[in-house]
Amino acid sequence: MTRFAWLQSRTQTLGVYAMLGALAIAAAITGVHLSNLYHSHILHCTIGCDLATTQFLHSDTFLRNSFDVLSLVTPALLGIFWGAPLLAREFEAGTYRLAWTQSVTRSRWLTTKLATGAGAVATIAGILTLVITWWYRALDKVGSNPYDLFERRDIAPIGYAVFAFAAGALIGVVIRRVVPTMAATLGVYVGARIVTTRLIRPHLLPPLHKTLSMLNADGFGFVSSDGSPITLVAKASAGSNTWTQSTQILTSTGHVASSAQLTAFVQQYCPAIANPPAPGAPGNGPVKAAPGVADAFHACRDEAARVFHLAVTYQPASRYWALQWLETGIFVALAALAIGGCYWWIARRAR
Amino acid sequence: MTTAMETAGVGKRYGRRWALTDCTLTIPAGRVVGLVGPNGAGKTTLLHLAVGLLEPSAGSISVLGERPNAGADQLARIGFLAQDSPTYSRLTVEQHLRMGEWLNPNWDAAFAADRVRDLGLDLGQRTGTLSGGQRAQLALTLAVAKRPQLLVLDEPVAALDPLARREFLQTLMEVVAVDGVSVVLSSHLIADLERVCDYLVVLVAGRVAIDGDVDELLAGHHLLTGPRRDHVALPGNTAVIEASHTEKQTSLLVRTETPILDPSWTVTPITLDDLVLAYMRQARDRDRDATSEPASRLAVAR
Repeated sequence: MTRFAWLQSRTQTLGVYAMLGALAIAAAITGVHLSNLYHSHILHCTIGCDLATTQFLHSDTFLRNSFDVLSLVTPALLGIFWGAPLLAREFEAGTYRLAWTQSVTRSRWLTTKLATGAGAVATIAGILTLVITWWYRALDKVGSNPYDLFERRDIAPIGYAVFAFAAGALIGVVIRRVVPTMAATLGVYVGARIVTTRLIRPHLLPPLHKTLSMLNADGFGFVSSDGSPITLVAKASAGSNTWTQSTQILTSTGHVASSAQLTAFVQQYCPAIANPPAPGAPGNGPVKAAPGVADAFHACRDEAARVFHLAVTYQPASRYWALQWLETGIFVALAALAIGGCYWWIARRAR
Repeated sequence: MTTAMETAGVGKRYGRRWALTDCTLTIPAGRVVGLVGPNGAGKTTLLHLAVGLLEPSAGSISVLGERPNAGADQLARIGFLAQDSPTYSRLTVEQHLRMGEWLNPNWDAAFAADRVRDLGLDLGQRTGTLSGGQRAQLALTLAVAKRPQLLVLDEPVAALDPLARREFLQTLMEVVAVDGVSVVLSSHLIADLERVCDYLVVLVAGRVAIDGDVDELLAGHHLLTGPRRDHVALPGNTAVIEASHTEKQTSLLVRTETPILDPSWTVTPITLDDLVLAYMRQARDRDRDATSEPASRLAVAR
């Protein structure tokens, strides 16, 4: 049965591997160059380092954009073009009646098709991510927080691809038509990714807490929306290569500052900002400090640092791999559920 | 092995609709069995139950002494040609033969190669580009090269032109003659099966209308014609399957085991076509009566 499964998927397997090969060659050639550039210009840089770094980060734009798009869409494509037709086409064309009446049990047929398919998809996603992660290693060292690239590097894309494949297979068993299955697979995949990113990943590990001075805030400013009194906002990072999940402004007693307290503070200590001398058109959003109020802005900020401080919740850099494994594990577990669903649904439909 | 297939009270329900009801059949081994019925009679459902693509909602079925789809061994003993002869349109003829070889323990590679050559099929051609007749022949080759004990064919000739139909049945007869395999094949046209079947099952509206050996069925049914009469007296074990009256004449299709001696009847033998059509009409009328019964009772009550 394995030989037949291979025969059925041979063309697409070879096609994808050919593309991967071309990509790997391009990555190898330019990747070595990037690495050399990093060692010669960045690592031991002494003069004009900012400019050198900026230039370095802008090298190979085309390949970088291609890799960014590829790493984002490949799992979805594998689900749509490999997982979705795997079983849906057998039902749509009626060939399941041919396959299931050979001397191979239905469960063996299904196991072989799913196992070889999932294996191929995981390998493809794995190789692609490996190539991309390797190619980017120098650029990532200079320019990025690994948490920003969490979904495009290392092992998470393998989990995504396996899940997209299994979801496509299951939806194909239920819908039994190729094109609607492809559409539904895309929808389910995107939905699962959004739900995981927004609702699940932030709660996988209890975050660490840190208090920072207002002076360390990355962003400090004033906001007024819908004509309400001007209030104070601030945002901070827990440090490089960490994932800052939330920033709150605390009072000296350690409680979260209410908007009334913040408004009162602005009114009392930052009159130049609360009542700007030359109000432009009253509108929403941040109020830009005019040149004349720059001093007032700094005074206000220093005062705020005395009254308030910042509490951030974050995941440290050391948890990156734990979160990668958890994310991958979640998607592999979902894939296992979907594969179980294929067996269940096929047995149920015969009844 | 004396029975190829045995069903007891088999029913199959799709949602709330019963496609097959209380089907009890014993199909002997070593025969070519024609399963005839109008479209939607439940033929495909019955055959899918026989090869294990479906499981019955009621009753039990055994094929070659085992529950269908009991395991790889059972699957190896049954060859199936599904309706419209499905093949993998992107794989070549040769790749289909390789599939057969890989997936079936008793695969007869020499037979398959010979047949494909005799049929003039191009080994490198994708099956998506074959004609309907060629595809049916290839699918039959796949089913037969499995060397099964039972060959189940679902409407194998329905989509074929008359010439391809004849060639297909010719192939089938050659195979059966050599192999001694049991065959069950379905069609909505008795004309397709008349020349190849020696056993008949008529299925109408999900029920078995009649089944039996073709020669016995023909010997046991007669067409009686005589002067018009409203009340018919016939020997006790004679059943009227169908009666029709004109102004002067009454015609009856009867089933009987004793000869009709009444000289006022002209007794003529019937064709298989007449017999099947009579049972189809009888089953249909019974169905119609069954559904209209409550309404007529209501009319009487008023």
